[in-house]
Amino acid sequence: MCDNIVACTVKTPVALQIGDVKTDTARPGVFVIDVTFPHSVNLQEISFKNYYTAFVMVRLQKVDPESPESAAQWVTCLRNRCLMPSPHTEEGSQDYFSIYRQQMLMEPDNVTSIRLILRQPSSVWLNFFLEDIKITECGTENSEKNIPSWFSNLTPEEQPMNLQAGLPDPEKVSSSIQQMWALTEVMQTNQTSARVGRFDVDGCYDINLLSYT
Amino acid sequence: MANSLQPGVGGATDSRSSKPDTESEFLTQVGAGAVLRGALLKLLEIRSEDPIGFLAEHFQNLAQSLENGDSGCAVEGGNKKQHQQALQEFEEQKQHSRALWHLTQAHHSQRSAFNNNVAVAFSLLSRDDRKRKPGLKGRVYTELLRRVCRDRGVAEPVSAPLIKKLRCQDHEAVPFDLFRHGVLACFVFADFVRKSRSLFETVSQSDRSLCRAVLGSLRDALETTGCSHPARYLEASAKLTPGRLAQAMDRAQTLASGTPSTLMSQEEFIEEASALIISRVKLVS
Repeated sequence: MCDNIVACTVKTPVALQIGDVKTDTARPGVFVIDVTFPHSVNLQEISFKNYYTAFVMVRLQKVDPESPESAAQWVTCLRNRCLMPSPHTEEGSQDYFSIYRQQMLMEPDNVTSIRLILRQPSSVWLNFFLEDIKITECGTENSEKNIPSWFSNLTPEEQPMNLQAGLPDPEKVSSSIQQMWALTEVMQTNQTSARVGRFDVDGCYDINLLSYT
Repeated sequence: MANSLQPGVGGATDSRSSKPDTESEFLTQVGAGAVLRGALLKLLEIRSEDPIGFLAEHFQNLAQSLENGDSGCAVEGGNKKQHQQALQEFEEQKQHSRALWHLTQAHHSQRSAFNNNVAVAFSLLSRDDRKRKPGLKGRVYTELLRRVCRDRGVAEPVSAPLIKKLRCQDHEAVPFDLFRHGVLACFVFADFVRKSRSLFETVSQSDRSLCRAVLGSLRDALETTGCSHPARYLEASAKLTPGRLAQAMDRAQTLASGTPSTLMSQEEFIEEASALIISRVKLVS
């Protein structure tokens, strides 16, 4: 499980509109949100809260790790994901959504920025955008937690061991030893705090010793 | 009409109360229901493999205890002091045997049944008919521990170090917790000795260093100090897999191949194995 939320910068939504934004009375139907990362990441999940956005398209800017000088490429990883089944009605308008790695068209590795293209064809809603955008990174293969070395011994591989002849049967020996170990553990855990009330120190009733206790 | 019926009914009930004709009334009078219920409950608790034998012994013990209850009050007029003393010792022996029988009814792994039996045995041994000083005496306790070890096939020299740690002085009064701890320790130790005997059968023909290597893996597993309790068990069990033990034995045999081989005797093996378990028993204080 990788739960590493990556720090990213979410830019303000930019409306895509034909004509002048300020003078035109018609409201925009397309917004673009850019999310940039300080370093290239391997995405696991993009989660956000919807606010009246009907469709979203996700594009990724990927950097080729082998040749860092080459230009970053834009690829579409999610085409027209429907967030509201009916754009005029409320359904799905304020829901939380997650887009997982497995749902994407391309492998979201070595990504430097994400472009979310929001569309709302209905004129019913005054504003629409996405809130609370969180990007989760894929966890590394080697976990930080230290796994003890004996973990690998729990399910041993079936290797043919070159053992000498004349050794006692390891299975029988192992089962006896394990039972003896279990009995010793029982003995160890069976401790009682009850005392008989002796006053001697190491079996000796010497008055000098007694005065020190 | 009503008046004429009533005397008839009254007469019938009178005849029924004097002689119990119905079967349920007879059983209630005799008290057989309670006795049988007790016996079945005990059988369910113990779940012994020989139910008929167990029930036979149970009823025998019950009969004996009833007999003792009756005869305990009637003591012979004290003209023969030795006779009384011998009788007292005989009674003590019988009590010890009965307590021991109770203790052997459930294996120590059946914890709740075993605890119940220990409680019964403790109350049996603490009871004193003369009512001088109730309570379990150290002498009786130590003697019982010795008998438990002996009856389960542990020789005296083997059990001596354990008894030395668990024993109480003759005059000391033993509390119940200590009694339970000591008895459980003896039963566990007896099982341990039996297991080490069977282990010796498997490794008996091998070199002394191989036997030592096997015991060394046990010591290693016991000394596992790990993070948390469950992880400790996993780690110790990982050290005792057949693969690991085979490797340890193989290594020991390779190392010993140059030197002339010496065999280990059974006593020596059991002594070394017992040392591992006895070192983990706390001294009674």
